[in-house]
Amino acid sequence: MPPVIDREKCVGCGTCADICNSHIFLHEPDKDRVPRVRFPDECWHCDSCVLDCPAGAVRLRIPLPFMMLHVASESLRRQS
Amino acid sequence: MIPVKAVLEADLAVVGGGIGGLMAAISAAEAGAEKVIVLEKAHVRRSGSGATGNDHFRCFLPEYHKTLDSILQQTLNSPIGMTRDPVILRQSLEKSFELVRMWEEWGINMRPTGKYEFMGHAFPGRLRPSLKYDGRNQKAVLMTQAKKRGVRIFNHHPALDLCVAEEDGARRVTGVLALDMSVPEPAFVLVRAKTVLLATGLTHRMYLTGPTPAYMFNTSHCPNCAGGQALAWRAGARLVNMEIPYVHAGPKYFARAGKATWIGVYRYPDGRPVGPFITRPDVVYGDITGDVWNSAFTDVLLDGSGPVYQDCSGASSEELAFMRGAMFSEGLSAMVHYMDEHELDPGKHAFEFMQYEPTFHGRGVEVKPDAETSVSGLFAAGDMVGNGGAGISPAAYLGWTGGEHAAKKAAVLSFTNIEDDPALKERMELFSSFLKREEGPDWKEANFALQQIMSDYAPAGPHRVRSATLLRAGMEYLEQLRAEAFSHLRAGCSHTLMRTGEVLDLLDCARAVLHAALAREESRAGHRRSDFRFTNPLLNSRQLNVWLEGGEVKTGFRDKWM
Repeated sequence: MPPVIDREKCVGCGTCADICNSHIFLHEPDKDRVPRVRFPDECWHCDSCVLDCPAGAVRLRIPLPFMMLHVASESLRRQS
Repeated sequence: MIPVKAVLEADLAVVGGGIGGLMAAISAAEAGAEKVIVLEKAHVRRSGSGATGNDHFRCFLPEYHKTLDSILQQTLNSPIGMTRDPVILRQSLEKSFELVRMWEEWGINMRPTGKYEFMGHAFPGRLRPSLKYDGRNQKAVLMTQAKKRGVRIFNHHPALDLCVAEEDGARRVTGVLALDMSVPEPAFVLVRAKTVLLATGLTHRMYLTGPTPAYMFNTSHCPNCAGGQALAWRAGARLVNMEIPYVHAGPKYFARAGKATWIGVYRYPDGRPVGPFITRPDVVYGDITGDVWNSAFTDVLLDGSGPVYQDCSGASSEELAFMRGAMFSEGLSAMVHYMDEHELDPGKHAFEFMQYEPTFHGRGVEVKPDAETSVSGLFAAGDMVGNGGAGISPAAYLGWTGGEHAAKKAAVLSFTNIEDDPALKERMELFSSFLKREEGPDWKEANFALQQIMSDYAPAGPHRVRSATLLRAGMEYLEQLRAEAFSHLRAGCSHTLMRTGEVLDLLDCARAVLHAALAREESRAGHRRSDFRFTNPLLNSRQLNVWLEGGEVKTGFRDKWM
């Protein structure tokens, strides 16, 4: 949940873990090159890990309850 | 006992490396403070509400605004002006363009269109108060400037408490208790500090999250800013405006600040504009309805005439491209990526907007015009300040002036030994006890329990009310929760210990809110009292303080500082 790390692309630098606004990763290079998302519920979806990953290995998966409610804008015009 | 890893010394210890904190550190170093340190909960490069950007900087530019009074009065008369002391707003506006030039020199793009341009948060035909800028690199730039001046930055070191000494009946700050959470095994770090500047951001997470009650980190501003005002509160500093809730609005259900970055029109489902200000998207003014009719998005749901949509569909492709760029400047890249992935196009889709939960944005620590609090040597800046205005520009100003004054003050002070301070020892033992327990509720249970109590007994208006009986009941339940939390909370590692500390801070802030709300015997803005339904004009020019004295909560009104 929110940050998803592509293990193939990750270079194990630990930047995401270091700069995370919510401190949700745990990076223990001795155990695993790839940081672990330890506290997924605490992600603020600020995008810092995505923006700063030098390998482009992180993306955010936005949880379903955060869905952006929308309608086709022409539906507003139709009713006016 | 959790071990003490280091004892540091600082002329100025800055707590929180956001916009206000970093500006304070830079300015203190410029003013001659030799030992300046920043204690940061996360990492200064990406911490706080300005982590990935901002795009509006409230600023007075003489060539454009002509007189300072024009923009001063406009701000004071707006909903965000009510909580401010005019003297601080005036000073921050006077200094604002100098700060803009400084940021520009350091590498923050203050002219994304090629010239100084004022856009958004504006009434058609009126002077516009906000300079449009591109703040996506603002944190990295300020971090670099701080380091360049020899500021020592301690990332992953949240402050748990302050140390204060009583001298001739007055209180003076002497140090900071910080937690090293850079590794799972926690350690304490003690800082003997001649002066301290608090800049921990606004307070989130005291109320059930509006868009997604089960996800408390889905918030408009930084959710890791939670309860920092309590550090000042426990030190005996006066808080102000804690009883006036601030309620932000934005897209539903993806909580994000930045509604003025959108350039659409707020419309009813039948296409009528909600407000009287614009009828088609306007890149220069934006739709200020969301600022001045704060509860619109809730009102239309409760009366059945809603929902309200943000409709950008009348904008040209150039205007939509400009807005997309501005969303990156404002730090909304996650939302842009989400829209791209879901093939949502603001030119073709209208997005429902909603009000989020109450926060303490520009509510909290009272500062004098030099950013010092009522405790000697303790300064504050940024969104945690209760009488200086919230957002980027006031944070930058109070940080700058606070750093300068703290440096001057530190020059004539000496260090105090804090290691034997009994209050500090007691706090360290309390934190150590959370870690020792084999079982017990975790911080999240306590945080949710607090949110339930505050949402039920100190809600924000206009559709929910407060009253003496509700507030007193809330106080009682809060003390029950506090007793449970102190005796049973358990933390398993440095991260959860940090969260536990946040909950203790939130409990203290909640206490301040309940007492202040009881003392304000009138209705004003989002503070609606069913037992005092009117707005008392005699209180228009008064501020309500709440503070702790000898273990008791005190409240009192004072005149606004003009």
